[in-house]
Amino acid sequence: MTADTSTLGEMRRAFQAALDAGDLVEATRSARSLLSTNPLLAAASFIRHAVDKSSPERLPLTSVRVALLSSFSIEFIHDALIALGFLDGLRVELYQAGFGQFRQEILNRDSGLYAFAPDAVVLALEGKDLVPDLYRHDVPDAADLNAAVVEAARELTNLAEAFRERSAATLLIHNFTPPTWRRLGILDGEAAPSQADLVAALNTDLGRICRESRGIHTVDYAGLVQRTGALSWYDDRMALYARAPITRGALPELGREYLKFLRALTGKTKKCLVLDLDNTLWGGVVGEEGPQGIALGPEYPGCAFIDFQRAVRGLRQRGVILAIASKNNPADVEEVFASNNHMVLRRDDFSAVRVGWNAKSQSLSEIAAHLNIAPDHMVYVDDNPAECDEVAHALPAVTVLPLPPQPEHFVRALLEPGYFDSLSMSTEDLRRAELYEQRDQAEELRAQSDSLEDFYRRLEMEVTFAPVDNSSVARAAQLTQKTNQFNVTTIRYSEAEVLERCTDPDNLVKTVRVRDRFGDNGIVGVMMAHGSGSEVEIDTLLLSCRVIGRTVETAMLAHVSEYAAQRGARRIRGRIVPTAKNAPARDLYERHGFQSDPSDSTEQAAWSLDLSTGGIQYPTWMKVVSETG
Amino acid sequence: MEQKVKEIMGDVLDLDPQAIDGHTAMDTIESWDSQAHINLCLCLEQDFQIAFTVAEIEAMLSYGDILRVLREKL
Repeated sequence: MTADTSTLGEMRRAFQAALDAGDLVEATRSARSLLSTNPLLAAASFIRHAVDKSSPERLPLTSVRVALLSSFSIEFIHDALIALGFLDGLRVELYQAGFGQFRQEILNRDSGLYAFAPDAVVLALEGKDLVPDLYRHDVPDAADLNAAVVEAARELTNLAEAFRERSAATLLIHNFTPPTWRRLGILDGEAAPSQADLVAALNTDLGRICRESRGIHTVDYAGLVQRTGALSWYDDRMALYARAPITRGALPELGREYLKFLRALTGKTKKCLVLDLDNTLWGGVVGEEGPQGIALGPEYPGCAFIDFQRAVRGLRQRGVILAIASKNNPADVEEVFASNNHMVLRRDDFSAVRVGWNAKSQSLSEIAAHLNIAPDHMVYVDDNPAECDEVAHALPAVTVLPLPPQPEHFVRALLEPGYFDSLSMSTEDLRRAELYEQRDQAEELRAQSDSLEDFYRRLEMEVTFAPVDNSSVARAAQLTQKTNQFNVTTIRYSEAEVLERCTDPDNLVKTVRVRDRFGDNGIVGVMMAHGSGSEVEIDTLLLSCRVIGRTVETAMLAHVSEYAAQRGARRIRGRIVPTAKNAPARDLYERHGFQSDPSDSTEQAAWSLDLSTGGIQYPTWMKVVSETG
Repeated sequence: MEQKVKEIMGDVLDLDPQAIDGHTAMDTIESWDSQAHINLCLCLEQDFQIAFTVAEIEAMLSYGDILRVLREKL
């Protein structure tokens, strides 16, 4: 949409005013409208300057430090990256290395890169800069292209290893696009090897490097360019004149791709997808057309809704929790699930269902409470703009995704933003829906029990403490990135940072697994403590909301207490760093007998426990297993 | 067109659009460095839906130059 100058001016003033007032909800809303108008680049520059000047104290943004290393001029992305990051609640702080300086920056321990102490580093390389011979239009003399690809893969391996030795930050490496024009023209496809094959081989090697290391990931640049089309992506003029090969229109797309990673790193990955039904999962209104009359089947438009249901089902298979918020007669909806054979999604794919005539925001609040998922981690999808508006205003924390008018565009609308993208896929992710079902069964048991203690005993819990190893590091890092409620300090760790913590023998780094009579909940907690002299200090202690309220946290403190006793320590210290969401963890130390520590000068609440009084005991109603590495 | 150019220059160079006039040039504005210049050209291209040649990019060194090049193209 194009807005005229005066409307744009008004939007700018609204944005600046909200920013000055420290009203993040309103500022985000105006920034979103500004960025949804054309032209995007100038609006991005405007927002970037305003955000740069805003006071960090007044705006509760999550700061993330990003270093950009590249083989070409990538600095033209800065404004878009900062402005789009703002929409995600991020304050993106940038370090820009000179173009082509990526080797020196990574290899030199004293480089500006490491001095900047980044959270994430992007290594943006164009294939033609890394393996020039492979991209030339003429055959280079005596070129061995196979050898050149092997050499490039070797260099990437070395750079990744050198980086990992020097930094625990997350490294994001672009993969490579095939040459736009093939040297052999129409024969390239059957050449052995073709240029396209050689680039694919290099990408396969890069995938392997990422798989075999911790906290190094592939940015699927080739996929991004392919979606846009190489001819629309590249600007030959700027490539040759300013070494800036990416067109103006494509830069924000690249920024959006980076932000998928940055959101995952900062705990902003969405967990739950709430769907409307009529004209969303199927065409038409079930109350009018009947369970068999709705548009769903092999013919258009029914096939578009089937496509969309498959995309939703794919997300569920990745671990996204599904829910329904629909204004309908419940019996009609149950009838569709029971009798319409074209339904891809089944009733039990949904962990919460609200069908009735309440406001949608009311249904969403109920779903959030039932699943114990914060509204920030929910995405709401609806075809009706009025419903979308109602939810957006009543629950600004929920991400609202209004569907486009035609159902053939639903899949793109759902998948393009990458709301649910995460940096690892754990067994817990794949079993998530099942785990929520177990939680529901446990809650039922709680309701039936005579007393809390009776409930704990009937749960038959087994709590296992284990050191972090290769099989659990991804889950441990993911928990630090995603857990917001029962989390005393909310310190986020990358996989590499978790492993780094494990190397110090004075550190206690443990995962917590909980089994109960309903099944294995998987790894649901992480704790980290550091022993020094006569003290043990807990800096990280977190627990998935699925198992809050079962005294697992008491067992965790008992475990630290046991560790402290083994070391001969006399005191355990811990602190609470309050956030908007960690209310459930605030009284952890207090209710376990810790004393408020007035000697601590920091503003965070510090607590300490004198172990001479006996320390903390494991609850008697659970079996505790302590694994050693 | 003048107003739109001023808005874009204001956004990219972090200037008050009202203060942009014939004296506003790469030589006199500190924030208008070579990187900002490319950025500015890209934004003008996007907004006016045109494409500059390299010669035009190199010629647009002041507010006046920008208006002149744009008038030739539009």
